[in-house]
Amino acid sequence: MRRTSQAVLIVVAMLVGIGMLTLASATGYKGVAEKGDPFWYVRLQAIYLAFGIVLSTGAAFFDYHWLRSKPLLIFLAVLTVGLLLLVFVPGVGVAVKGSRRWIRVFGLGRVQPSEFAKLTVVILLSAWMALKGRKAENLREGLIIPLGVLGMILLLILAEPDLGTTVLLAATGVILLVAGGSRKSHLLVSGVLGICGLVLMVLQDPVRMKRLLAFARPDGYADARYQLTQSENAFFLGGIWGKGYGEGLQKMGFLPEAHNDFIFAVLGEELGLLATVGVVVLFALLTFLGLKISRRAPDRFGCLLALGLTSLLALEAIINIGVVTGCLPTKGLALPFMSAGGSSLISSLLAIGMLLNVARHGEGTDVHTRLSGEFDEQTLNQAFHPAGGRC
Amino acid sequence: MNEAPIVRRMRVVEGILGACFILLALRLIFLHTRPDPSRVRKADASSRFVRIQPAPRGRIYDGSRTPVLLAASVARKDLCADPFILHQRTNVAAAVALLAPFLNQPASRLEERLANSSNRFVYLQRHLPEEIAEPIWQAISNAGLHRSYGIYLRDSTFRKYPHGDHLCHVIGFASRDVVERGLAGVELVFDRYLQGVPGVIRGRRDAFSTELYTLREDETPPVPGADLYLTVDGTIQYFAEEAIEEAIIAHRAKGAWAIVQRCHTGEILAMASRPAFDLNRFSESSADQRTNRAISIVYEPGSIFKPVVLALAFERKLVTPSQVFDCESGSWFHEGRILRDYHPYARLSVADILKKSSNIGTAKIALLLGNEYFYEGARGFGYGRRLGIELPNEEAGILWSPRSPNWSRLTCSRMAIGQGVAVTALQMAGMMSAIANGGYLLRPWAVRRVVAADGTVLKQGEPEVLARPISAETSALMRYLLTRVTEEGGTGTRARIEGYRVAGKTGTAQKVVQGRYSETDYVASFAGFFPADQPEITVVVGVDEPQPFHTGGVVAAPVFARIALQTARYLALKPCSLDNESSIP
Repeated sequence: MRRTSQAVLIVVAMLVGIGMLTLASATGYKGVAEKGDPFWYVRLQAIYLAFGIVLSTGAAFFDYHWLRSKPLLIFLAVLTVGLLLLVFVPGVGVAVKGSRRWIRVFGLGRVQPSEFAKLTVVILLSAWMALKGRKAENLREGLIIPLGVLGMILLLILAEPDLGTTVLLAATGVILLVAGGSRKSHLLVSGVLGICGLVLMVLQDPVRMKRLLAFARPDGYADARYQLTQSENAFFLGGIWGKGYGEGLQKMGFLPEAHNDFIFAVLGEELGLLATVGVVVLFALLTFLGLKISRRAPDRFGCLLALGLTSLLALEAIINIGVVTGCLPTKGLALPFMSAGGSSLISSLLAIGMLLNVARHGEGTDVHTRLSGEFDEQTLNQAFHPAGGRC
Repeated sequence: MNEAPIVRRMRVVEGILGACFILLALRLIFLHTRPDPSRVRKADASSRFVRIQPAPRGRIYDGSRTPVLLAASVARKDLCADPFILHQRTNVAAAVALLAPFLNQPASRLEERLANSSNRFVYLQRHLPEEIAEPIWQAISNAGLHRSYGIYLRDSTFRKYPHGDHLCHVIGFASRDVVERGLAGVELVFDRYLQGVPGVIRGRRDAFSTELYTLREDETPPVPGADLYLTVDGTIQYFAEEAIEEAIIAHRAKGAWAIVQRCHTGEILAMASRPAFDLNRFSESSADQRTNRAISIVYEPGSIFKPVVLALAFERKLVTPSQVFDCESGSWFHEGRILRDYHPYARLSVADILKKSSNIGTAKIALLLGNEYFYEGARGFGYGRRLGIELPNEEAGILWSPRSPNWSRLTCSRMAIGQGVAVTALQMAGMMSAIANGGYLLRPWAVRRVVAADGTVLKQGEPEVLARPISAETSALMRYLLTRVTEEGGTGTRARIEGYRVAGKTGTAQKVVQGRYSETDYVASFAGFFPADQPEITVVVGVDEPQPFHTGGVVAAPVFARIALQTARYLALKPCSLDNESSIP
């Protein structure tokens, strides 16, 4: 597993490196215009990166099984819900363009609680599904309780409003439930209900409706499609070889949020096909490495945790790139490791830290064969936790 | 398959995620390798810009030794707005409230201009001087409005005429467009020289129309327009303008004009026309005010035309100055009509016919000329054609050919006294100069030099002989005879000035009103030159509809004298010596 971990580190380092380079190019103009310093945003991002590396190193080296302790889980859940609620407290929550997604933290600037809520959701669901084991086939343990917890957090995020993160977390949750052993029929019914809810959400919100219509019928909604058009233009203008690093013009105000949600388009314009496909390959690689770690996890919790974290990162990348390339309607989702923003970078790095934590415990143990053979939870649990305690 | 359900389900997840990545990679390949050409072109064009930098228009100076500035373009700022962007990004009412106190405009007017949210451009205020534009921009910046890019300042130029209505008809004026275009006067005729070449900046801009300086592709600086140096001397022009303005008031006239010309070169030293208008407010002027009466008004000259007849007669040696004609005691029945003299005379010598301005005597001499020679000779003096001064709207006047159906049996005798022929003041000046300078009809010119911004002379005005209607001898004789007009007993005694002998001719022409000669509306004129012995300067004065006095000798001659005296003093012309009485050569 050491080699897998190393591979993960290399892939993440490459993504972060490409991200910082692209960010430097994308924010140079903005930095000069707004702060009088072309490296203002890069410097800020570097500080976040340093924070992220420290935190994720920490996350890699404690024993992830601590996460299963009930007081900690309850604490995490309460903390997350509390932070998500703080967003709505006037004076603490910060609204940007009509969305209350941030809270002001003294000394740290703005923090986006939903970024950390993602990790909490993965930890909570993995712990729950691992705990319940075969009982997950029951309606109560397999569906109602986990969906209840998930739903509560999702509703808070949805209320910000942040549909992108909501959809992302819902999808991750579904993957965890599927893998955790919930019944397919239960999942199918709730899935249909969920989609119906989503459709209702979109229909009652004119902004989202417009975005969706713009996506479906480009000609009719020119102004709503502006972002998508400019984003696609970036790839067109870049062509196969790109315009060259720093030479892109779309970031000069033509492409909104060029440093943020649409940083992938800047990469496409400046460095061309090889860079963009390269980044997709890197994300795919990370996904497969993460799933490999998951399969070789020492226990069911580690397995689900790794799966959840990997799915989270993979889905976020897929949705972001899908939006930027015009395959999906516009969402406000960052590209992990690359978009500007401390919360996103730190939470992504924390996810990698925990993933490596799982990998570290899987080291030297051929869990894969155990998992792929007749699965005996009790044996497995005892093998790693001689101290006992129910799994 | 021997896998646990969890692993099987993970395989499904892996497959779905993998498929997504593959689809994304395919989509990227599609985007990068098959761009939509029209969208690429559009996207590329949206960051390009071409900015035309207006070239400063050339200046206009007068012809005095230390040239006086008559017209110049000064740098100004236009306050422009993009209502479309304003409506999208900012509060229009707040912008109006901010700007209204600066602009001297009611807020409602500004609001009205900004009302149409689909409009992409309006001027809020044009031609703001820097000292006003600066605080406005400060206020806009302080309010953060500049970041919306909906209000901005644009460089412009503003044509200033520091002397108001001085020389207005010659200078003319230029439009207030971004590129100032000459609309009248030398501004129009020399527009090509004055305009200069606008500079061009090609480059890239960001989405907020701010230039990306590092990506500038082409920068051609503007070439300023060439400067114009007129022949007109501001001081003499001032003399002329003052004189005719006072004449208009004194004689309750409708208008007046005066031309001062160097008789040996044809240079125009002054060209005044009243009523006039302020060049800085040309848009408020009437067509009547804008008319340059010195070149654009044609009128029947009356007696002032008589020197033509005599000069031509002498040139063919048909008469001598002492030859006596029967002046029929003031009433001569000819070709079925009666021709009258203002003062009846029984017999007059040719010299006195001119001095006393006898219609009958002149008509009889004209009959000696013969139709064809009279016509050709008059043309030789510049009548019936444009003389080619560098000013727009020069009229040719009317001179019928004997072969034309308009020429009747009466024409010859009537044309002799300046009826049935229409002239411009400029043609009168040309004739007088030709008599003064030895017989050469010179092209009148008003622009001495056109000098490019780098100092090269693009155009140099020079004397140009158009025709030679009379010989030097005839010219000298005419000079002598015309001098007698201002002497005791002549019609132009009031044209005399101290220290100089003046030659000239009065004219009192009845205006044609509704097809008949009016009994009340006249054009009183005087054309002459001085010093009579060695002529330097020709002056022509016309007063339109003076009341109640209307004769050239009473109304126009004093104006001539005033202009002539001041000009002679100003130019320091040599006075005539006391012992050198001129005699018949």
